[in-house]
Amino acid sequence: MKSCQHESGGISASIGHDLTFYIPLVLSRFLPYVVDVIKLWTTYKACKKKMDHLPETNGGTPQKDVVIKPDAPSTLFLEKHADYIASYGAKKDDYEYCMSEYLRMSGVYWGLTVMDLMGQLQRMTKEEILAFIKSCQHECGGISASIGHDPHLLYTLSAVQILTLYDSLHVVDVNKIVDYVKSLQKEDGSFAGDKWGEIDTRFSFCAAATLALLGKLDVVDVEKAVEFVLSCMNFDGGFGCRPGSESHAGQIYCCTGFLAITGQLHQINADLLGWWLCERQLPSGGLNGRPEKVDPFHTLFGIAGLSLLGDEQIKPVSPVFCMPEDILQRINVQPELVS
Amino acid sequence: MAESPEEVAVLVQRVVKDLNNAFKRNPHIDEIGLIHCPEARYNRSPIVLVENKLGVESWCVKLLLPYVHNKLLLYRQRKQWLNKDELIDITCTLLLLNPDFTTAWNVRKELILSGTLSPVKDLHLGKLALTKFPKSPETWIHRRWVLQQLIQENSLPTLVTKGNLGTVPVERIQRLVQEEMEVCCEAAGRYPSNYNAWSHRIWILQHLGKLDVKILLDELSSTKHWVSMHVSDHSGFHYRQFLIKSLIGRTVTNNSILVQNQLVNEPIPSLPKGEKNEASEAACTEELRVDLPNLLKEELELCTDLIDTFPGHETLWCHRRHVFYLQHHLNNKLPLPNVQLTSVDSSDGTLNNSHPSTAVSHVTHAMDVDGLNDSSKQGYTQETKRLKRAPIQDSLGLEMEYRLIDNILATCRDVEQARFATEYRKWLVTFLGQ
Repeated sequence: MKSCQHESGGISASIGHDLTFYIPLVLSRFLPYVVDVIKLWTTYKACKKKMDHLPETNGGTPQKDVVIKPDAPSTLFLEKHADYIASYGAKKDDYEYCMSEYLRMSGVYWGLTVMDLMGQLQRMTKEEILAFIKSCQHECGGISASIGHDPHLLYTLSAVQILTLYDSLHVVDVNKIVDYVKSLQKEDGSFAGDKWGEIDTRFSFCAAATLALLGKLDVVDVEKAVEFVLSCMNFDGGFGCRPGSESHAGQIYCCTGFLAITGQLHQINADLLGWWLCERQLPSGGLNGRPEKVDPFHTLFGIAGLSLLGDEQIKPVSPVFCMPEDILQRINVQPELVS
Repeated sequence: MAESPEEVAVLVQRVVKDLNNAFKRNPHIDEIGLIHCPEARYNRSPIVLVENKLGVESWCVKLLLPYVHNKLLLYRQRKQWLNKDELIDITCTLLLLNPDFTTAWNVRKELILSGTLSPVKDLHLGKLALTKFPKSPETWIHRRWVLQQLIQENSLPTLVTKGNLGTVPVERIQRLVQEEMEVCCEAAGRYPSNYNAWSHRIWILQHLGKLDVKILLDELSSTKHWVSMHVSDHSGFHYRQFLIKSLIGRTVTNNSILVQNQLVNEPIPSLPKGEKNEASEAACTEELRVDLPNLLKEELELCTDLIDTFPGHETLWCHRRHVFYLQHHLNNKLPLPNVQLTSVDSSDGTLNNSHPSTAVSHVTHAMDVDGLNDSSKQGYTQETKRLKRAPIQDSLGLEMEYRLIDNILATCRDVEQARFATEYRKWLVTFLGQ
C-alpha cells in the first residue's frame, strides 16, 4: 500500500490496481480468518522481497497485477496525506471540485475520518463543516451531498458519521433523519436510496448504519431488511447489489456490515466468503475487488486498511462503520464480529 | 487567457446554445467525446458535429461546467428562476459533461412527471452519456427509473400476461428489452468488467423481460461470442451464470410434464441450441423445452475450450466453478438457494430434497432469520454445512473434473494456469467433495 503513495500525499490507482479497503475490512470481521489478514500484513511488509519472486507472465497472458519498483516507498508519509486532505477544500471554483460536488458529503467524511485516524483532525475547520451539514438537511429530513443538491441516503449516512465524529448531532433534526430513513424501506425489506426508488444493498447498509449510530435501529422492520440482504447472497458466498447480481467487494462490505449491525453475521457462509475474499489477494500483496478487476483507490480506505492490519501509527478503526473505534466506544455502538 | 465573469457568462451561454442546436439539427447523434484542444481558436464554436458524432473542445469544458453547474444549483435553491426549456438545455449540457450529477437527473425526472419532457428523450441522452462514461452509476439508475415510468404510464402488461391485451404493448416491451440489451452490450465493450452495465442488463431481464424463457435462451446464444472475445470479463461470464440459473428456476416452476422428465433423466427431444428462428417456432413460452443437462454440458465445454485457448485467466476458472456447481446440484437433486423465481408457488422455504419433483427447491425471500426467530435452523449456513456432510451421490462428475484438472496441471506451461487449476481443485474438495 505504501508504494501507492504520491508526492502530493494522496494515494491513487497509480500502481495499477486497488488495495480495496473493503477486503481487510470484511476479513477483519472474521476473526478465525485473521490468519489471512496476517498474511496480508506479512506480504505487505515483505513487498520488497516479494517483488524479486514475482511469477513470470509467459504465454502472452498479462496478469492484472503490478510490479512494485525497488525505489517504492517503504514508510508511510502520514504528514503528506494530512496535507493533501487539509488543502482539498480550498478550491471551490475548480472544475474538479465541481465535478465531484455531487458526493461532497462523503468526501468530507472520508477526509475527516482519515485525518482523525492519523491524529490530525484538529487541522480541519469544524464550525464550517457543521454549518455546511446543517444547510444540507432538507424538509423531508434527508441530507444532500452539498448545498442545493437533492437529499439521499448515502449522504445522510456520511453526514451522521461526521456529526458523530464531532459529537455534534444537535446541529440537525435527528428525528427527521430517522423518519426519512424509515420512509425509504420497501415491502420486501429493501431500502431505496431516495424518493425516486432505486434499490441496492448499499442502501440497506446506509439505513442500518445511520439508525444504529442514532440508536434507532428498531424503527424499521429489521427482520425484513435482513431477509432482503440475504436474498442477495450468491453461491460464492458473496453479495451483489440486488438479488441475482454479481458478487462485488464493495457490496460485500455493505452487506456484511449490515449483518454485523443487525446481529446476523452468523447467516454468512464464512468458509465460502472467506475463500472468495482471500482470492482477491494478488502475488504483489495487493488486493482487487473482483476477479481480474483493476479498481481505483481511496486514501481513507488505504489508511483504514493499514489500521486493520495493525499499523501502530494509525488509530484502530471499526471494520463495520469505517470510523475510529474510540468514537464508537464513546457512543457505545460496537457490533459483534464473527468469532 | 483571463476572462471576466461577464465574458465567461456570454461565452458559456453561446456554447450551451450551440450544443442544443446541434441536437436539434441532428437527432441521430450517437456518440459524444472530448476533443483535445487546450486553447480556443478564433471565433469558432467549441461544439463540433461531424456526421453523427458530437465533440466538445476541451478548452471550454473547464469554464462551461462550473457555470452551468452553479446555475442549476441556484435554481434548485430558488435563488434564480429557469424556465422549462432552459432547464432541459442546461441539464442536458451538464449531464453530457458529468452524468453522475444526480440532482440534474432528478430535475429531468420532475420534468418528465409534469409532462414537459418525453421519457424517451432521457433514454437517448443516457445512451449518449454512456458512450463517454460507460460506467456512470447515476446514468444507469436514472435509466431504470425512466423505464419503470414507461411501463407504468402506458399500463403495459408484462410479457407473461396471456391473451386479452393487444399485441402492441407486448411488442413495445420486446423492443425496449432489445434496445436495452444493445445499450448494455455497447457499454460493456467500452469498459472491462463493467459491473453497472451487466447488472442493469440483469435488471432488465428481471423487470421488463420477466425472465421469459425465450429471452433467456436468446441471450445465452447471443452473448456466447462476446464472452469468448472477452475472457477476462468476469461480469460477462457472471451474466451467463445468471441466465442459466434463471433457466433452471423457470424450468422447474413450470408444471409441464417435461419438468418431471427432466428430473428423472428421461430422454427428451432437445431444443436446438441458440438458433433464434427455431426457438421461436418451438411454440409459446410455457411449452418451450429447455434441455438443462445439455445446456450445462455445453457451457462446460465452452469453458474447457476457452481455458485451453486462453491459459491463465481467473475469470474462466471462476465460471467453471459456477457452472459445475449448478450441474452438480442439478444432477444430485440438491437445493439451489436463491435461485430467482418469477412465481413464488414453491417458495415454501424448506430445503427438502427427497422428492424428485421438488428436487430443485427454492429459497427465495422466505429465509428464516435465526437470531430473530430463535429455534428454526434454516439459515443458508446450516444447509451448506449439511451438504458438506452428505454422502456423494454423483462422484462421476467430480471425478471427471479432477481428471481435467490433472491433465491441465500435467501439460500446461503457464504458471498462473497451474495456480488457478490447483485452487479450483482445492475449492472442489473443500466445498463439493469428500
